Amino acid sequence: MAQVYFEDISVGDEIPQLKKNCSTQQLVLWAAGSGDFYQIHYDKDFAQSTGLKGLIVHGALKNAFLGQLLHDWIGEQGQLRRFGCSYRGMDEPNQDILCRGIVTKKYSEGGKNFVELDVWTQKPDGKKTSPGTALVTLPGRN
Amino acid sequence: MADEFEITDEMRAQFGVESEPWTYEVTTTSVRMYARGIGSEDPVHYDVDFAKAQGFRSIVAPLGYLGTPVYLPGTNDPTFGFPRRAGGPRLNIPFKGLLDGGTETEYLDVLCAGDVLEETSHLADLKLRDGPRGKMLFVTNESVYKNKTTGKVVAKQRLTSIHM
Amino acid sequence: MTQAAKSVITDEMRAAVGVEGSPVTLEVEKTNCRMYARSVGHTDPIFYDEDAAKARGYRSIVAPPGFLGTPAFRPRMGGGTPGEMGGRGFSVPYKRVLNGGTDYEYFPDEDAVCAGDTITARSKIAGFEEAEGSLGPMLITRRETTYTNQRGKVVARMYGTMIQY
Repeated sequence: MAQVYFEDISVGDEIPQLKKNCSTQQLVLWAAGSGDFYQIHYDKDFAQSTGLKGLIVHGALKNAFLGQLLHDWIGEQGQLRRFGCSYRGMDEPNQDILCRGIVTKKYSEGGKNFVELDVWTQKPDGKKTSPGTALVTLPGRN
Repeated sequence: MADEFEITDEMRAQFGVESEPWTYEVTTTSVRMYARGIGSEDPVHYDVDFAKAQGFRSIVAPLGYLGTPVYLPGTNDPTFGFPRRAGGPRLNIPFKGLLDGGTETEYLDVLCAGDVLEETSHLADLKLRDGPRGKMLFVTNESVYKNKTTGKVVAKQRLTSIHM
Repeated sequence: MTQAAKSVITDEMRAAVGVEGSPVTLEVEKTNCRMYARSVGHTDPIFYDEDAAKARGYRSIVAPPGFLGTPAFRPRMGGGTPGEMGGRGFSVPYKRVLNGGTDYEYFPDEDAVCAGDTITARSKIAGFEEAEGSLGPMLITRRETTYTNQRGKVVARMYGTMIQY
């Protein structure tokens, strides 16, 4: 992917979206990847016994998706300095999770170009399930 | 299509043809995860100091664990994790069902965390049988694992998968 | 919050703020970096291929965002990620718990997080807050975990929020 430069972006810009759709297999992969083996993410009977409608996507996985969204956007020369989200809503497997980000601030300081963003995941109906913020540095054209 | 499946000479010609080598890694976290998976509580699989006191290089890989193949997206099978590398058998198998038919492992050395292995495999056997629900194809692969540092063969494994 | 509502924050809790728990050692390895990257769906080869990572100037495979290593699991001792949901040890009159969110801060000017690293994680409660929300009165516990690598460099901090109500 082409490198994005500090000069090319403006406050209000949306960064390229990342679309996810978790199969139950991906939730099992995430259990292995993260070490979180809580059964509400892969055992439907267990999930329902806790009062849930069915399996739900790990909040931390959505957080990691936002990490990927940012990593892929900033390119080889960008640096991820801070990212995260809060968990406000549940997502189910086999349903689109759209990861998005909008530039909220840009400034240069100490020879570095900082960009702040609002990032979030949203459901197909537009509801934001994990809103958060991020800080990255981008290379300048010079 | 599956009902008409027959083993051809073209398939048999692939017997014994070695695949490209692939790297398998035995690490402390992967050994512990495998040990958890089989429900072992033996500290020799978890505690490096304990394992060293027993005379091992590091924590010991539980029996059956021959390391984790290096995973590269697009190259490894996304479900099973094994590498779909050059030189391996190319069978066009029309069956949808897949079962594990069994594994035999021969150990020539103890595997410990930190070991990096080089594995090659080849197709060893094909058998077609009539089962209660139609044809069943037994595919047997043989793998040889060498320690990448010493070049010594540390294990051999024979795996059979059943397609039906 | 209203005058009538009584604080659930005790002196014991106030005394615990800022006190670091015992350090936890985390291992960053090639296999667990790849597994994490694979489970998220990362496509950048620096998370999978050592040569690709080195060609981009890293010491080895890079730990994907949010991954700071795996604690050494001991049977019967658990092995969760430190700090993520910790701090439930206090007696609070609320039954329900929510993970309020997690933020990661990285210090790439100090060092990257790469396979081969041994990270020491130190966790502490950064503070308690009380609020009145749509769920009723709630206690917000903020935790902070600092990750230091084997070279003594602080490479990351995690800020976790737990909500009890």
